[in-house]
Amino acid sequence: MSILQIQNASKIYGSGHTQVNALKPTHFIAESGELIAVIGPSGSGKSTFLTIAGGLQKPTEGSVLINDQDVTKLNERKRSRIRLREVGFILQASNLIPYLTVENQFRLLDKVKKGNMKPNETENLLKQLGIEDLVKKYPADLSGGEKQRVAIAKALYTKPSLLLADEPTASLDSNRAFEVMSILSLEVKEKNKAAIMVTHDHRLTKYCDKVFTIVDGQLSQTVNEDQTETP
Amino acid sequence: MFLAWNEMKSAKLRFLLIIGVLTLMSYLVFLLSGLANGLAELNREAVDQWGADAIVLSDESNINLPQSSMTIQAAQNISAKDKAQIAQILLVARKSGTKIKESVAITGIQKDQFLMPKISEGRAFTTNNEVVADDSLKADGLKIGDQLNISSSNQKLIIVGFTKNAKFNAASVLYTTQSTVQKIKYGKANASGKGLINGVVLRDPNFAHLKVNSKLKLTPIETFIENMPGYTPQKISLDFMIYFLFVIVSVTIGIFLYVLTIQKVSIFGVMKAQGISSGFLIRSVMAQTFLLALFGVVVGFVLTTITGLFLPAAVPIQLNLPALLVYGLIFILVATLGSLFSVQTIVKIDPVQAIGG
Repeated sequence: MSILQIQNASKIYGSGHTQVNALKPTHFIAESGELIAVIGPSGSGKSTFLTIAGGLQKPTEGSVLINDQDVTKLNERKRSRIRLREVGFILQASNLIPYLTVENQFRLLDKVKKGNMKPNETENLLKQLGIEDLVKKYPADLSGGEKQRVAIAKALYTKPSLLLADEPTASLDSNRAFEVMSILSLEVKEKNKAAIMVTHDHRLTKYCDKVFTIVDGQLSQTVNEDQTETP
Repeated sequence: MFLAWNEMKSAKLRFLLIIGVLTLMSYLVFLLSGLANGLAELNREAVDQWGADAIVLSDESNINLPQSSMTIQAAQNISAKDKAQIAQILLVARKSGTKIKESVAITGIQKDQFLMPKISEGRAFTTNNEVVADDSLKADGLKIGDQLNISSSNQKLIIVGFTKNAKFNAASVLYTTQSTVQKIKYGKANASGKGLINGVVLRDPNFAHLKVNSKLKLTPIETFIENMPGYTPQKISLDFMIYFLFVIVSVTIGIFLYVLTIQKVSIFGVMKAQGISSGFLIRSVMAQTFLLALFGVVVGFVLTTITGLFLPAAVPIQLNLPALLVYGLIFILVATLGSLFSVQTIVKIDPVQAIGG
């Protein structure tokens, strides 16, 4: 089952001679159980692709279907609800609220949405990520890597079907980065989610089922030579 | 409430300062309301003690009791259910042998009519020139048995008793016989049932149906109070200050919250990206304002109560709980309305920009 379908979507900023084609017409499908990497240099349109895929902004043309619902036809209010239910964002600029302790970050999500992880599930997740001792701390007291892992836990907490990650391993050392990737991979396979990860770290592609590159807004699939695991 | 409360806990100093500002403002509102109340009491407490519904005065008096004049005959012709004659003159009284001077309203009444005050100390007057005085005169050193000299008259009065809450237009009331007032005013007393008095006070809820002759004017007691010299201008000034303070409170907290919201645009943006609705964020900002105003009002209330205990008796301040509660509620309400300044900002936050997409 395809969780995300992007059909002929493009994004143009500005007009006339200042016009920027941030995303050229793109077809893209993410099936459940797929972990997909999108690799590209900065300014290549990665973030535009990610925000359009997550229903944060509408493409100039084309459509985006998340679980068969066309988010380009919805207003911000309804898209916001879809993001809450279906999409988990792991953002580069950490998506943690500075004045909430780690456990309250999760509690906030309980305030706005039902059906999140149960206490024992959360405990397991925190253990897997090695952050079970940090629940009482504020984000300011965490290291970059710890923040990143809390952000990942937070994105998984609402049990989204689509995970969108912007450089999820950016501030982690290699071992931790590989660990996080295996957690993401496991999560995707076990619970039939789809995950799209924007990165420029080629070492991570071995965890991914498909690898795309994006250059100047042009997305294209590449052969994944590093693929070691088969789903 | 969750977000609001946790944010306040994590940035205590910032929010304590805002609460401090709100505390001072609510303190000012409470004190001003106490002062407005106290000044009003100073003018009307004697009249409130009468428990009257209306008053009949001469048409030419411009609803001013000391300026009004009518014959006892005319007073007797008024057919109200319960009525009491009143004679009054505003003068200065001096305690014999001292320099203690007081503005007094010497008020002549009939002992068997309802204007007769409750005696809190001493006894009622029995003959002419005996008076029952307002309790507040005790603070200035007057006591039972003291003789009072009257300005512009050679009559001497003797205090035989005290009654509570008897200020009329800021003057202390001395209740006495009508003959005493006539003697002070005209030099001699008229025979019983003859002569002039100032007005007739009525206890009759249906007074509106009463007919009085064309030289007299029937006035509801509240209108009578509002027409006391100085009463309405004083009250309007203080009320206006209070209303204006409410506007200032609303704008001030609006600005505070707006600045805080601007600082939090990127955090709000991240939350919106995650699918948290604008409505949730707006409610959280409003809840925060509510909490800030509530704390400000509670601390302001405590400060006001403490101040009330320590202010000298000369300050005409009267803190009454229902009024303070109403003002406190209005305060919280207008403060919360102030947070609506931020609504538009929150709605317009674009999650894409906020997360640096």
